[in-house]
Amino acid sequence: MTSIVERTDRTDRTGPSAMALDLRSVGKTFGTGQNAVTALRSIDLRVGPGEFLCLLGASGCGKSTLLNLVAGLDGATTGEVVLGTARPSFMFQEPALLPWLTARRNVELPLRLAGQGRRQRRERAEELLALVRLEGQGDKRPHELSGGMRQRVALARALAAATSAGTEGDLPGMLLMDEPFAALDAITRDVLQGELLRVWQATGTTVLFVTHDVREAIRLAQRVVLLSSRPGTVVGEWRVGGGREELHTEITGRLRQVITSHAA
Amino acid sequence: MPPEPTPLRPTGEAHRPGATAVLEDAAAAVAGLDALDTPTTTTHPWWRRALSTALPPFVALLVFMLVWQLVWASAITEEFKIPAPASVWHEFAGTVEDGRVWSILWTSVSRAFLGFGVALLIATPLGLLVAKVPVVRAAIGPLLSGLQSLPSVAWVPAAVLWFGLTDATIYFVVLAGSIPSIANGLVAGIDQIPPILPRMGQVLGARGITSARHILLPAALPGYLAGCKQGWAFSWRSLMAAEIIAAGPLLGIGLGAYLKEGSDFNNMPAVIAAILLILVVGIGIELLVFRPIERRVLRARGLALST
Repeated sequence: MTSIVERTDRTDRTGPSAMALDLRSVGKTFGTGQNAVTALRSIDLRVGPGEFLCLLGASGCGKSTLLNLVAGLDGATTGEVVLGTARPSFMFQEPALLPWLTARRNVELPLRLAGQGRRQRRERAEELLALVRLEGQGDKRPHELSGGMRQRVALARALAAATSAGTEGDLPGMLLMDEPFAALDAITRDVLQGELLRVWQATGTTVLFVTHDVREAIRLAQRVVLLSSRPGTVVGEWRVGGGREELHTEITGRLRQVITSHAA
Repeated sequence: MPPEPTPLRPTGEAHRPGATAVLEDAAAAVAGLDALDTPTTTTHPWWRRALSTALPPFVALLVFMLVWQLVWASAITEEFKIPAPASVWHEFAGTVEDGRVWSILWTSVSRAFLGFGVALLIATPLGLLVAKVPVVRAAIGPLLSGLQSLPSVAWVPAAVLWFGLTDATIYFVVLAGSIPSIANGLVAGIDQIPPILPRMGQVLGARGITSARHILLPAALPGYLAGCKQGWAFSWRSLMAAEIIAAGPLLGIGLGAYLKEGSDFNNMPAVIAAILLILVVGIGIELLVFRPIERRVLRARGLALST
């Protein structure tokens, strides 16, 4: 796939061969002059539609900055961010559900903001709640749910946002996930990783998943991208196939190299 | 054995042998985790809740009346300083009989409600401005919280000089007392919103007014309600101060004026009856209006106490 589609308009319909996300030598610097901090430097990254990509890196590698750039919450200092999907939607480490709304109304919120009718958004919310195995829990409020259930409601909401942004409802969206399972206990995390893979396969969304857990990255992703720290640049890229143990050893070794280079 | 009908399966992954078993397994694991992790709540029967909330204050009131009766019966002080509970009751019953109590209550309560309503209309946009516009906050934020500690009685002499002995004086004092509380409550409520919520709203596509309507205002509601509650207490207090100090033919008889009248005629039972009425109205509004609203709002957010 060598053709790069020249397009900056986010809502444009893209052909099947187009990239879901194309970062072209993207850099981000905070502040100016003496106090300037470069968070990202010349990142080149392409994500295909429906791909599951994990961004891996130690602290300070600009993972979250990168997601913010993709989400349009922040602008790149240099380079270009080109999106081939509907507006990407975000999932954070915390569920960030609105505590005064029921689970269903939380899922409905992005649809409501997009101007959908009551009936339509209710149906869609029920559908998405069923997808994350929360049938019949729609009337509960966040405080009545467990941590894992809340994070699944957040996933359903992110899916609602990802598929509602444009008028073309069939355009698969993109999920940006910023260590979404980091705050959960090990058992719940394990189950939710499996659930995320199932939902990803069922919906065909593109997923950009940030983590600092090598094992999590290898389990989930089709492709793992390792970022260095301060400033963040791409230092390695692996396709996940067979031989996961070897891959784990290799990536961990490379990650350690990146970290030790900061010891001086 | 009849051949089993082939189940219809969606195309893709599920066609692999054993895939459905894995899926069912995952579903069971999720369901099990949910069942284990869901927070449990214990509920007591309504009569126990009613008993545990109503009985203690009732007993306390009974003890208080008993002590009062004993102090009066022991005749430590003169009758005109501490009257018998019964004579206070007779005074109160007298005003009920000639219907005076209703006009007195109506005068004060209607003033308090009108004043509080106007204060809400002024304080809400003011609070929003102070909370969201940094320049405005820097300019009048400290003044607004400072005004909260200024007793509104201090406004009465100035108001009398400005507006004379008219309703305008009363309303001015009520507004001066309650606006800072309500505005400060809203500011505190907005300041306490977890930053992740507006960020989430932005990601979901809420901007400006939509963000305020769907995220900011509902998120700030608990703090705003607390401010309103305090604002009500302040406006009721200020009203009484104004009614006691500023008395005149144009003003009509409210609770404060009734109290002042009792004091002027050395009628201690009337004074005590007035004080108790002021107390009862203040507590009554809080219990009947603010408590249910607050409880509903907090319970929806999982913040209410278990009682």
